[in-house]
Amino acid sequence: MPAVLTVDPRSGVPIYLQIIEQIKRSIALGILQAGEQLPTVKQLAIDLTVNPNTVARAYRELERERVIETSPGRGSFVRANGVTEMPKIAADIGRDALDVALREAKSVGLMREDVRELFEVVLERWFPTVER
Amino acid sequence: MSTITISNLRKLYGGVPAVDGFSLEIPESTVFGLLGPNGAGKTTTFKCMLDLARPSGGEIRYDGKPLVPETFERMAYVPERSVLYDWMTVNEHVEMTRRAFASFDPARAVELLGQFNVDPRKRARALSKGMRTAVMIAIAFARNATLLILDEPTSGLDPVNQRHVLSLMINEAAKGNSVIFSSHQIGQVERAAERIAVMDRGRLVLEGLVDDLKADRKIVEGIFPDVTFTLDGIANDARVARADRTERIVRLLVTAGADEIAARLSGAGAVGVRVLDLNLEDIFLYAVAPATATTDVVVKES
Repeated sequence: MPAVLTVDPRSGVPIYLQIIEQIKRSIALGILQAGEQLPTVKQLAIDLTVNPNTVARAYRELERERVIETSPGRGSFVRANGVTEMPKIAADIGRDALDVALREAKSVGLMREDVRELFEVVLERWFPTVER
Repeated sequence: MSTITISNLRKLYGGVPAVDGFSLEIPESTVFGLLGPNGAGKTTTFKCMLDLARPSGGEIRYDGKPLVPETFERMAYVPERSVLYDWMTVNEHVEMTRRAFASFDPARAVELLGQFNVDPRKRARALSKGMRTAVMIAIAFARNATLLILDEPTSGLDPVNQRHVLSLMINEAAKGNSVIFSSHQIGQVERAAERIAVMDRGRLVLEGLVDDLKADRKIVEGIFPDVTFTLDGIANDARVARADRTERIVRLLVTAGADEIAARLSGAGAVGVRVLDLNLEDIFLYAVAPATATTDVVVKES
């Protein structure tokens, strides 16, 4: 399990959602591999100093989304298709980030066409068109 | 441990209510944070739970039954003020606890005292406020209790030791035990507690899972093009707990449905509509601050 998992309890984002997001992110980045075992609820709770029931809630949600699976007595593991679905998880993360950005653009009164132009500019910065 | 049910608890001191019709259910195997301003009734509630104060009304039940001596043996309490005897050494306090409670583990107490860097040969009078807290914490966590009631368990401790107390609490919850604690350090409650209740003037004003409160309670803010706007009844929505209006800006505290209310605000002509997250400190302050506490004009519509 990546030691990079951290939570910010002072954030307005629920802790269980922060844990879900980071585990998905770790899978999307290949830090967590198919079949890899996750720490137990108790261990992760102690590592992060957060309530075990909060960690358990994050795991339950990840099971429901079929990202991880838990077998009684053995522990929780990244599902094999949790990794084949890596592009989908990456797409989810990207979509959520764009959702926040576009909501903000809308809140300051930008119109659809303004946003489309800005999107092209930012897209070019991060995903430059390859020179021929 | 057991589910604790507090029903309509009242406690008067000299005719003045310290706790005034307080009801709360605390599930088992959790870390529960009790928040409230000074004088809200938190300590009095703890004392009533422990039978250290006799309620003037209402009752407290553990799994449906009143507190019995066997339950009391399984409870450990760290009071807000030091109850250590000045003339006794820390070791003598450990020995005294060993005689009083069969399930107490003195070796564990000594281990915990070491983790807090307390010299057990010192007399209590020679200890700082934080070290006294650490001694009471070490003894309580060595009790093998299934319910720990901790009143301001980190007061006077440095940040390293504060975090250590939180880790001990998390450890208890991981073992299936229950911890109920009060703290003015909201960041600690936010980190360690699964569920909270907010008390104010002896009453319950807010209760829930910390994560759910954060997911549901938001500020929806909108800016109108000019001062002559109407909220179109939005402030009357049952999910709007509070509405503050300052010239062209409206800020709504919503308890659910933030996105939908944001859309209604846009529909009413607001631009710059934003949904803002609240941390537990914000949620707490909104729960205990009377609506008139802000300089904004309150416009709960009629």
